[in-house]
Amino acid sequence: MMYETLTRTCWAPLKMHFFRDCGVSAMLESSCITYTLRLRARCFLALTKKLLFLEAPYCLAVLAVLSFHGPAAALEYSESPALKELVDAGKLPPLEERLPSVPRVVNLEGEGQAVGRHGGELRVLMGRSKDVRMMVVYGYARLLTYNENFDLEPDLLEKVEVQGERQFTLYLRPGHRWSDGRPFTAEAFRFWWEDIANHDEISPVGPPKKMIVDGEKPKFDVLNETTVRYTWSKPNPFFLPALAGTRPLYIYAPKHYLKKYHKSYTEAQKIEKRVKATKAPSWAALFNRKFRPYKFKSPKLPTLQPWRNTVKGPSQRFVFERNAYYHRVDAKGQQLPYIDRVIMNIAAGKLIPAKVGAGEADLQARHLKFSDYTYLKGSEKRTQNDVRLWSTTKGAHVALFPNLNVEDPVWRTLVRDVRFRRALSLGINRREINQVIYYGLATEGNNSVTASCPLYRSEYVTAWADFDLPRANALLDELGLDKRDDRGLRLLADGRTMTVVVETAGEDTEQTDVLELIHDSWLQLGIKLFTKPMQREVFRNRIFAGETLMAVWGGLENGVPTANISPAALAPTSQQQLQWPKWGQHFETGGKSGESVDMQYPQRLMELNRRWISASDEKSRADIWREMLSIHADQVYSFGLVQEVPQPVVVSRRLRNVPKSGIYNWEPGAHFGIYRPDTFWFDQTDASRLAGTVQGSSG
Amino acid sequence: MFRYLIHRILVMVPTLLVISALIFVIIQLPEGDYLDTYIAELEAQGESVSAEKLAHLRKTYKLDLPPWQQYFYWLGGLLQGDLGWSFEYSLPVNEVVGDRLFLSFVVSFSTIVFTWLVAFPIGVYSATHQYSWGDYGLTFIGFLGLATPNFLLALVLLYVANVYFGTSIGGLMDPSFVGQPMSWAKFLSVLEHLWIPVVVIGTSGTAGMIRRLRANLLDELQKQYVTTGRAKGLPPMRLLAKYPLRMALNPFVADIGNLLPQVVSGAAIVSVVLSLPTTGPMLLDALRSQDMYLAGSFLMFLSLLTVIGMFLSDIALAALDPRIRLQGGTRR
Repeated sequence: MMYETLTRTCWAPLKMHFFRDCGVSAMLESSCITYTLRLRARCFLALTKKLLFLEAPYCLAVLAVLSFHGPAAALEYSESPALKELVDAGKLPPLEERLPSVPRVVNLEGEGQAVGRHGGELRVLMGRSKDVRMMVVYGYARLLTYNENFDLEPDLLEKVEVQGERQFTLYLRPGHRWSDGRPFTAEAFRFWWEDIANHDEISPVGPPKKMIVDGEKPKFDVLNETTVRYTWSKPNPFFLPALAGTRPLYIYAPKHYLKKYHKSYTEAQKIEKRVKATKAPSWAALFNRKFRPYKFKSPKLPTLQPWRNTVKGPSQRFVFERNAYYHRVDAKGQQLPYIDRVIMNIAAGKLIPAKVGAGEADLQARHLKFSDYTYLKGSEKRTQNDVRLWSTTKGAHVALFPNLNVEDPVWRTLVRDVRFRRALSLGINRREINQVIYYGLATEGNNSVTASCPLYRSEYVTAWADFDLPRANALLDELGLDKRDDRGLRLLADGRTMTVVVETAGEDTEQTDVLELIHDSWLQLGIKLFTKPMQREVFRNRIFAGETLMAVWGGLENGVPTANISPAALAPTSQQQLQWPKWGQHFETGGKSGESVDMQYPQRLMELNRRWISASDEKSRADIWREMLSIHADQVYSFGLVQEVPQPVVVSRRLRNVPKSGIYNWEPGAHFGIYRPDTFWFDQTDASRLAGTVQGSSG
Repeated sequence: MFRYLIHRILVMVPTLLVISALIFVIIQLPEGDYLDTYIAELEAQGESVSAEKLAHLRKTYKLDLPPWQQYFYWLGGLLQGDLGWSFEYSLPVNEVVGDRLFLSFVVSFSTIVFTWLVAFPIGVYSATHQYSWGDYGLTFIGFLGLATPNFLLALVLLYVANVYFGTSIGGLMDPSFVGQPMSWAKFLSVLEHLWIPVVVIGTSGTAGMIRRLRANLLDELQKQYVTTGRAKGLPPMRLLAKYPLRMALNPFVADIGNLLPQVVSGAAIVSVVLSLPTTGPMLLDALRSQDMYLAGSFLMFLSLLTVIGMFLSDIALAALDPRIRLQGGTRR
């Protein structure tokens, strides 16, 4: 239902442009005699076609061209000088043949955005060789993408038609090509669905979970060369967001490249040879190794991203060249990306802030922490970089999770009592933490949605989050924990001293610093806090087994959900939810292991989560979200400390179109992805460099 | 002597087998396996893996077998020269180690040369000028090198080199040369970056070397034959070089055994801090992420080098120092 508007919303602005331009052209006509008849004719043709509801793609092409070029400009695509040489030498077909007949025209009319110029090299730093995948994240070419407002829009696809969230018809762009120049058609989708997802050797567990609704696979149809359709009998609200994911659901594959590894297309002998040569355990394993579009390791695997990898790892340096067949152009008809090459240097993660401070990156946020901000700011002059602060959207930057599934029976009764959880939350001085560790730049509050979320209500963040020791002490006394030992620490029902061991994954001193502050205020409640750092795997396994009483970790992954995003993270649906791992495991395994939920409110959360999936309209979904959020705020299942801790983003002063302020998030957001790094460009002129300096120092 | 050599070589086989079992046990000791690391990493990015997918992955990587079967699977591969599969890099281990080995050699070899060049003259000087200002001063510098944490010295030098000489931070060459064929400019760039790890790793080694040489030499200088030589009128330098110094060289030779594995593993911590493309950081990562075949094969390789190094240094010692030589060939 909700996506039915999708095609319409993306049509609407185009239509507006169209009519405006026609108006302009009519005016021009009266004053300017040189205005060509040809253009006028095309304008008219488009109009009639639109009126007669003729074939949409063609109409859209004309519309797009007309609306973005304006009547006076010639309808011309232009490309990077780097590729022009290849075209002139006859090594590459001209741009018109490489672009889809309907390229995606990127509008650069936002604030501080401008049509750019081709050229330049972008340097980024990553911590490990396997981070080449970050270029799929930054590139962010998906079947559908989120835009800056987190709305879905078609990208690789020309359009999507959705009926009742049950039937999805995907229209490809005719003439779209893979990075090696071979056509990207419906066959790529058929190959993936029939020969990969449903092949019992390659995918023994069947198609990805997000394509299964109540155990049912979709019906897949190829309607024509550029149209495919997926149909479920029940709604699947997860399908389109998964296609737009930061780590997307890939439902297409380059058959022309992969068929030589596939048993159905190549003789067994030839494949056998390859398997032996690569020491793979089986041909299916070899195939899976070859088809890993997200990992981006193989320079040979064709891609649709703006830049393609040219270095076969492992290496300390990866070079990404522009994809000559990329499907986006700017309003002037220049093919994107603007930047010719991306250079990714691999360095130890802890050294990256130092390297950035020495000016070795043009665009960097990964591996930079808020605590690096002052150092980076100090290096601005030397490096000619701008250090910006973007907001983050985690539900809580740091949160404490009481384990409701803890083994210890005395503690379990206690942490399951809401009064105890409320008392502990009231005993945390969030303001002090914010001032001491985050220079007061973060927002204090619970682990919930952030203020920029449409579902936000202030009580979600502030309930039981003020620092109120008398009230907390009263709550604890009420629980019958009024006996104390000679140090003034409270005693548990069985006579043990109340010492809470908070376990941390120990990767970050920030968490231990925060815990040190909480230690002081909890001591005034008569509770002693100990911090126990451990290796990450051990940390998780201890929580899963119920050996951990309390853990510290980040809060909700997505703090800016809309009503149409699944609220599963709020209900016990995953073992990874540190406050109720066993309930989550029970849900994940369909009841085979773990424990079933035996508390009232978590059961209610489970039920609401189920209801959300079948809820059909946005309003009832929003109501479900709100109820779940208020249960969380009131029942205090985790103690969020601060939200919206800013993320330093270092940007070269010559680099344009990078927003001054943005949201740095993984899903949805793809870090820089939603801000379309293919539209970032280097301003090479001296004048602009000067201007950039002025701009930078004032901002 | 010949029988002794054969014997030594044969003993290596069970030694290595025991080492391989130990390595495997130690790698398996921490809870979980590589897939746990993998899941944790996905989770940290807000993604999830289904239980069936995990089971499938466990099966492909043979992680579902009992440990002893995994051990023999790995050992069998090793014997055929197959070092196994690195999960982290999803490449055969041989390919992963690849060119890192060469750079490790470069770093470690330069470090050893540096250590010897510094330690040797200082050691001789402090022994011959015992309790002089020079002895105290140089020993003090040596101890400074030993006492300063390597990583701290590395960071300081890194900063100085970047701010005053404009050297790029970390690594063994300017990033633009990575993956390029060898050239004069690349060679210079390597030299520009190489001195930091060499000085850092070297300074920590010099103190020990200086003290050992000094102590040995002092022992020898007290002996009768030195007095005799001096009484007979040998020039001091000639006397020193011809007799006591040669005797004092034993620790250098005995060190060869430890040198070989050191050359390969490099100084892991310094390499991590400096982000050197050597094998040390890789081994550390492999151990942390429980990439067991990469870590295991690597440790196995180091053990092999240690065993061989010990063998070589024993032979060299026996050849150099008549006092160590075996009598009668049968006694051990």
